Amino acid sequence: MSKSVKVNITIGVLVTLTLIGFSALAYQTIHGLGGTGMNNVVSWGLYIIMFMFFVGLSAGGLIVSSSATVFNIPSFKVVAKPATILSTVCVVLAGLFIMVDLGSPFRMLNLLLHGQFKSPLMWDVVVISIYLGINVGYLILMMMKNPNQKLLNAMSYIALPVAILVHSVTAWIFGLQIARAGWYSAIMAPLFVSSALDSGLALLLIVLVLLRTLKVFHVENSLITKLAGLLFIFVAVDAYLIFSEVLTMYYPQEASTMLVLNEMLSGSMAPFFWGEIILGLAIPLAILLFRKNRQRISLVVLSSALVVVGVFCKRFWLVISSFMYPNVGGSPGVTTGQYIPSNDPSVVNSIWASVGHYWPTLLEMLVVVGILSLGVLMFMALTRLIIGKEGVEKTNSEKTDLNVPLQEMPQ
Amino acid sequence: MTRMGMAVDLNRCIGCQTCALACKMQNNVPMGMLWNRVLTESDEGIDGVQGVYPDVEKTYVPVSCQHCENAPCVKVCPVEATYKDENGRVLIDYDRCIGCRYCMAACPYNVRVFKWEEAIQNPNFSYGDPRVPDRKVGVVEKCSLCKELTDDGQEPRCVQTCPAEARIFGDLDDPESTISRYIRENDAEVLLAEKGTKPSVYYIGLNGGKVDV
Repeated sequence: MSKSVKVNITIGVLVTLTLIGFSALAYQTIHGLGGTGMNNVVSWGLYIIMFMFFVGLSAGGLIVSSSATVFNIPSFKVVAKPATILSTVCVVLAGLFIMVDLGSPFRMLNLLLHGQFKSPLMWDVVVISIYLGINVGYLILMMMKNPNQKLLNAMSYIALPVAILVHSVTAWIFGLQIARAGWYSAIMAPLFVSSALDSGLALLLIVLVLLRTLKVFHVENSLITKLAGLLFIFVAVDAYLIFSEVLTMYYPQEASTMLVLNEMLSGSMAPFFWGEIILGLAIPLAILLFRKNRQRISLVVLSSALVVVGVFCKRFWLVISSFMYPNVGGSPGVTTGQYIPSNDPSVVNSIWASVGHYWPTLLEMLVVVGILSLGVLMFMALTRLIIGKEGVEKTNSEKTDLNVPLQEMPQ
Repeated sequence: MTRMGMAVDLNRCIGCQTCALACKMQNNVPMGMLWNRVLTESDEGIDGVQGVYPDVEKTYVPVSCQHCENAPCVKVCPVEATYKDENGRVLIDYDRCIGCRYCMAACPYNVRVFKWEEAIQNPNFSYGDPRVPDRKVGVVEKCSLCKELTDDGQEPRCVQTCPAEARIFGDLDDPESTISRYIRENDAEVLLAEKGTKPSVYYIGLNGGKVDV
């Protein structure tokens, strides 16, 4: 099969998945969020998890590429283009995920008309808008033939703190809520930034290797190894912060915190918690610790994929476990909001839950897959637009001289 | 200034669920949700007992919006759809709510309910007070201290209908009101005092401010 046929098939599949996803979304918009697994106890689910996840993926990539200028690491500048495209696509997806979570999406304009700035959600709306603007500005500059270097440098200096802020504010949406034992913690913002750094860099590494395999964009092995070393440090910091947080939750043995912690350690959230610890932290750390492994592209990609999966697991348990146990306990609990009409009088009890449960429904998964497919399509389009031709030409010249850095940002 | 509030004497509450259903009737709350629910400390479901026969007892705690002075839900609402009104009530503008459900995540009392889909009414008509605003799919709703009645100088429906006279409604800012005196004289407590939300709903006989846990 020729390359163009393969590309066309890929595009065809992605377009189909996107259309299915948006049909599911249309159904949800008409009928309400009742088709999701969310209820009055666990009132946020997969959409908010994906929102947090993608804000992180986006911030991580941009932090790495803007650090290149801010901390003067010229070898990192090479990846600025794919990193910025990736970060733009991820932040757009994050915005989409929060929109599909709204019960009354047609009233979204109220955010502009009646914005209430005591709400961390409003802070996020502002910071994400600025952040998206910076990303788009960056991309426009990169598309120019002779970009203004001073402007590009200045952008990096703004992009770095805004990228850190964007994930801190997302953390504060959760971390400032005294109602939820698992969220209310000062470590939430640093923890979010650290997991943004490792998941964002891991996704960037996967994308770089993929682009190289497809001969769209060339990166040296040495750079992959170098970035893999950085990934090790990021994962280690993330592991340290998580350990610190879990120890602080565990040590006092306070009843309401222990309910959340037990759910993570041995309850229904255990696959996600241990999934993160083992897949997302332990295995990648064990692999990336050794220089030999960091030089093997396949192992770097494997570790990166595990880190991304691990951070997703973390988003999942972080959101869900804190919702599960109402602070005011007692029987029969909270009304879930879901009523199934029946002639059986015992069914009346089914509206109650004293412990919350959540699992995404097919509808939610279709919407999520649709949005992800749209993201891949956006990434493909932007890559073609910004690095497409240039990359192919450079790849051809690769055969003649392997030592020349092939894809470099104008210095 | 008036600060509307409520006191619930748990020593008088008989767990009859009248307040829960009267609230549902008054406010046209559909099937699957309640604005006001009566909890027991038993794990046997509605009307369960604690202890082992013959040493058993039954205790009840009705829980609805606590109309906090330091309300977490009001702070987090990005569009000011949830607000504190001049009479101390926490209210929702159902035409402004965007359905982000941040307030549900922020409320420590789990008293907010969401309209997830087209509601099922049983009986199949609007049985509520016609003055109570309609709620569309995709908005959060909760107890308004029966705004439509209390604006009119009446008591909330749960207070009117309680057969044990366990509920007292009144002005917390007036030290001489029945409710203020009752709270003072009976060492009333609030739910989850440690969260610092300063509820306007007080309980007599709560034993430390926590149910169950």
